[in-house]
Amino acid sequence: MARARVEQRSVPTGSTLVTLVGLSVAFLLFMAFLNVVKSGNLLTEENLLYAALIFYSGAGALYLAFGISGTPSYIKFASFATWAGLLANTGAVAHRWYEAGHPPFASIYEMLLSFVWTLAALTLIAEKKYGVKVIGTVTMPVAIVGVVLMQLLRTDVHPLVPALQSTWLHVHVTLAMLAYAACALSFALAMMFLIQDKMKTETFLAASSLFCIATYAGILTRFEKWGGLNVIAWNAEEKSEVFLSRGVRLFVTIPDLGWLMLLVTAAVAAPFALYLISRWKKSEHFLDLANRSVFIAILLQILALAFFVMRARDGQYASLDADGLFSTSLAASPFILSGLVGGIFVSLLYLLLLWRRTDLERMLPAAEALDRITYKTIAIAFPLLTLMIAAGAYWANRTWGSYWSWDPKETWAAITWLVYALYLHMRITRGWRGRRAAYFAIAGFVVVMFTFFGVTYLLPGLHAYA
Amino acid sequence: MASNIHKSARKMWRTMSSIKTGVVLLILVVIISAAGTVILQRPVTEADEMQRAYSPQMLKVLDALGLTNVFHAWWFILLMALVSLSIVAASIDRFPNSWRFYARPYKSTDAVFRKALPLQAQIPIADEEAGLAAAERALSRMRINSERIVGDDHFSLFAERGRPSQMAVYIVHASLLLIFLGGIVDGIFGWNGFLKLNQGEQSNRVELRDGTIRPLPFAIRCNSAGQENYADGSPKKWWSNLAVVQDGQDVASKEIVVNDPLVFNGVRFYQSSFGPNGNVEKLILDAIPSTGTATAREIAIAPGQTISLDEEATVSMAEFIPDYVVRDGQVYTRSNDVQNPAVHLIVDSKQSAARINVWLPPIPGFEENARSPYRFEAKDLKMGYFTGLQVSHEPGQWSVWAGVILMGLGLAFVFYVVHIRFWIVPMRRADGQLVLWVGGAANKNKDVFEEKFRKLVKEVEVESHTSTASAAASKTMLATH
Repeated sequence: MARARVEQRSVPTGSTLVTLVGLSVAFLLFMAFLNVVKSGNLLTEENLLYAALIFYSGAGALYLAFGISGTPSYIKFASFATWAGLLANTGAVAHRWYEAGHPPFASIYEMLLSFVWTLAALTLIAEKKYGVKVIGTVTMPVAIVGVVLMQLLRTDVHPLVPALQSTWLHVHVTLAMLAYAACALSFALAMMFLIQDKMKTETFLAASSLFCIATYAGILTRFEKWGGLNVIAWNAEEKSEVFLSRGVRLFVTIPDLGWLMLLVTAAVAAPFALYLISRWKKSEHFLDLANRSVFIAILLQILALAFFVMRARDGQYASLDADGLFSTSLAASPFILSGLVGGIFVSLLYLLLLWRRTDLERMLPAAEALDRITYKTIAIAFPLLTLMIAAGAYWANRTWGSYWSWDPKETWAAITWLVYALYLHMRITRGWRGRRAAYFAIAGFVVVMFTFFGVTYLLPGLHAYA
Repeated sequence: MASNIHKSARKMWRTMSSIKTGVVLLILVVIISAAGTVILQRPVTEADEMQRAYSPQMLKVLDALGLTNVFHAWWFILLMALVSLSIVAASIDRFPNSWRFYARPYKSTDAVFRKALPLQAQIPIADEEAGLAAAERALSRMRINSERIVGDDHFSLFAERGRPSQMAVYIVHASLLLIFLGGIVDGIFGWNGFLKLNQGEQSNRVELRDGTIRPLPFAIRCNSAGQENYADGSPKKWWSNLAVVQDGQDVASKEIVVNDPLVFNGVRFYQSSFGPNGNVEKLILDAIPSTGTATAREIAIAPGQTISLDEEATVSMAEFIPDYVVRDGQVYTRSNDVQNPAVHLIVDSKQSAARINVWLPPIPGFEENARSPYRFEAKDLKMGYFTGLQVSHEPGQWSVWAGVILMGLGLAFVFYVVHIRFWIVPMRRADGQLVLWVGGAANKNKDVFEEKFRKLVKEVEVESHTSTASAAASKTMLATH
């Protein structure tokens, strides 16, 4: 009863929200377009990427429309748009490869380029071969975010330092990409399983809120005295981060942004707090409030993103570690940026679940099948992880003369491997199925995400290149 | 008493070989490794950075607990040993059963088994032999080898594929042990250090990570070294031409680059860094007489070298300062990088019978350039370079790579090779109808196998029909004749 009421009232708010998101996407597209006009040349990598962005955005909108309305004809246009986007994306990858003379895996920009390409290809495969039509609703927004991030990051060909010129590096990174993609897929499938397994919608509310809290807590590790936020200084001429000494980056403080982040942290924590209260008081009323607080949280998150983009894009700021003013750029803060975007995305996905749960349940495969496919994806991911670690060790041995040095990224890769090994032992010898297995698959992906983002952002180490 | 000991030993064995122990140990490894990435580790962190990060009391506690060197602490090594022990115990505990299963496959079925098997079907047939032959044809079309099993009063069929996948998990565990073994061997016998050589220099003294010097039984000489740059000036390639010198003779040589080391007697030399050593190899100068109309002359001078300019004057190079700064009436260098070079030349002239200090660039307070019979203009500077070699000895690495390859194979078998089995037995049903009982089992991917099983049943049905039909046809033919 209560849920039905929430649903009825929130639909108009929902369409406003969709319009808002659409407008911000249009704004970003416009920014990208300005870049194109500036460059003057037509068939360049940037323009190909811009074309890919337009097609992916169209595909994303159509997939989303399909997710909301369930009209099957949208899917046809959506996959057509995805094909077109993939074509443009392939052009951009080829251009990059040709220009750089090595496969595009060397910098964050190049990895994003390859990642988005893989994502689009996988979406089409999942749709055509396995009939998982709704998958584009999730993957296309990720692809859009990826391309937008690329517009903000460096685009010039960066020559490889001697340590990175090895076939084994390419093998290592390719395997890592494939393994992480398989882990991501197993995570998405485990989530779908939980939906089909009739897990309560409010549990997803708590989970999405926790994700946002963790993200903002990570951002707040850069909170500086008097409410500033520390970001890495950026040398616009050399297009690189500013280093004080080897491996030590120079941070500049953007004043007042820390307070905003703190405020948004409180806002994203509110749904979780209200959820806890509703559990404690056993009251639907608080759940209703929690769902409403998600809107406020999303609006504030968009505000935080907008302010961050405006203030970190260009500007001169003081630093605590050195005298004078230093400039920064969005390219210097890819992790904060993807965290901010990721939080909004996860909250929006929750809203989709809140409003369209019955439609989603109708469109997704049965729980049992999802459970089985999750296991199969991990059966692909695990050997890939193993080979990825082995290739990395071999490369390190040829470059630094030791195959294992317990550097944080290595250690976390090993931890990821162990978590999935535990999953396999539990499933094979203990016969774990269903929810417990799904929780394990989710935990595995959380560790993967930490290895990929968290380690580089929070912990120091040898993998400073990536 | 003896039985008590026996009992507790058995109990301990059971604990050690249980999957629960293994899981608990693995979770411990996960937690401790994670802690080791969050807490700064001594081997890779500068001492003063450790002091900046933690308070002295905190640092004392962390050091005492071994938390500042987690991955080399005795309790971490003990934990890894326990993990290995748990793997070994679990494998020994389960191996005999699996081996029986592997070595003596279950080929002829009994009634209890036939009743309990979840995947089974019955196909009505006219004739025992024709039915079995039809099943054999169907199986060979699915590329599964079958064999005839002699029963009490009739033949039956057994067919299987991918039996080794039953043993694959032991391969994976063995490979893990191989990797551990390699790691332990390298932990005990291996070492890793650094060797810095100037061009033309030779040395056998490797500086290890802890600062001690390890002499090698042979020396390494750097014949030449260099750097190639990208157009934008960032380094593209470092190379060193190395020779191994043993008992005064060159016994091996190789030009190494990053990612392609020189290996001699199990010791590997990796190109790790390259840079100026702050010493000048050659300075090219234009010497122009201060008076008269004589033309400029180009000279190349090395540190300490004296060159005569004419019958009366010589020039020698006293000092080269790569990155000069003047402080307290002295000329210092700030670094070994050629940032702001200065050169100190001494001109000896019989005419003035004095040593004249010439500085390029002229540093006020030091230079006496105006008194020199020659003006000098620096044209080019050829710096001396050092090559930085990472030196390592890892005798256990072959065990590690063997383990890695074995693990790849093992995992391929674990995940992608399925042991499938079919049993086909002709029998008479309770209603008197002769049937082929077909049963099947697979050790994984049961959903895919179920489809395969249905396909086989269908094929056998079709095959036995055609054979019955052709048999019937030949009978009719006989009858007509």
